[in-house]
Amino acid sequence: MTSTLYFEDFHIGRTFECGPYPVTREEIVEFAQEFDPQPHHLDEIEAQSSLLGGLAASGWHVCAMTMKMFADHMIPLMAARGGSGSREARWIRPVRPGDVLRVEATVVGTKESRGRCDIGHVTFECRVFNQRELAAMVYMTPVIAKRGGTP
Amino acid sequence: MTAQYWEDVEIGARRDLGCYTFTEAEIVAFAKKYDPQVFHVDPEGAKKSIFGGIIASGWHTAAIWMKLAIADRKRAPRESPLARAGISPGYEDMRWIRPVRPGMRLSYSSQIVGKRELSSRPDLGLVLTRNEARDETGALVFCFTGKGFVERRPRSGELSQSHTLSALLPSEQSGEHP
Repeated sequence: MTSTLYFEDFHIGRTFECGPYPVTREEIVEFAQEFDPQPHHLDEIEAQSSLLGGLAASGWHVCAMTMKMFADHMIPLMAARGGSGSREARWIRPVRPGDVLRVEATVVGTKESRGRCDIGHVTFECRVFNQRELAAMVYMTPVIAKRGGTP
Repeated sequence: MTAQYWEDVEIGARRDLGCYTFTEAEIVAFAKKYDPQVFHVDPEGAKKSIFGGIIASGWHTAAIWMKLAIADRKRAPRESPLARAGISPGYEDMRWIRPVRPGMRLSYSSQIVGKRELSSRPDLGLVLTRNEARDETGALVFCFTGKGFVERRPRSGELSQSHTLSALLPSEQSGEHP
């Protein structure tokens, strides 16, 4: 396993690959039943006449799947201390049953903490691609990273 | 009556979406699937984290906003179903301000804060919303600016369009590729 990455290791432009995440119809429907019960996330026939033109995952589900890929890959790697929000997300293209997602997480900003000397903020731009290499979502998210040499 | 078309949406209109109490079991179940960080999934480990105990994934807090917004939409009195709506191009400025702990009861709200025409899609308009969750003391816990497409009122003599969102999406050759 790679050694721990600290705040100081996240240079702007550094990119990490996360994933893959195969998306199933069952999971799309299960998430939507719980959190986003709209016809275009639940029912193939009704979804055909929706703006999405077919069954597609809730955007919140895409965020959650992206978080899972990021957490599985990045959390063991970095001394992460949680996040404080997500600056922006663009849901660019519907995520369909059978899609296989992956994430490119690129460091786009770093900022030392104003109040604490043991942490810093690293902002990632996470670009989510499907198996055809088409962008499904882009989101920006700051993550709190531990600084090197601190307890 | 609630707005039917983009033209009817009133800036400033605010809706209370209702309350939700987060349980530890739900927090852990969501996080095991989607956000398996120690302070979301492991009560013992979470005690040693900077949060001092289990807290909900921020995506869980956000997903509950969606759940309550849909429930509210179904409750709202309407003469006819809202013109095609419910698709969003994204959000901005999502903030997880205070940790959401087991047993906390959040009240969610949504307010219309802006409207934009879409030059690429004269049949749709964009509606911007300021969405919040507050704890029982009234302190802000979570907020974001939401965006949603709402169908515009068909002008007389115009055939209603039934195409999908593809015109809004970047073409497969363009921009979004690295």
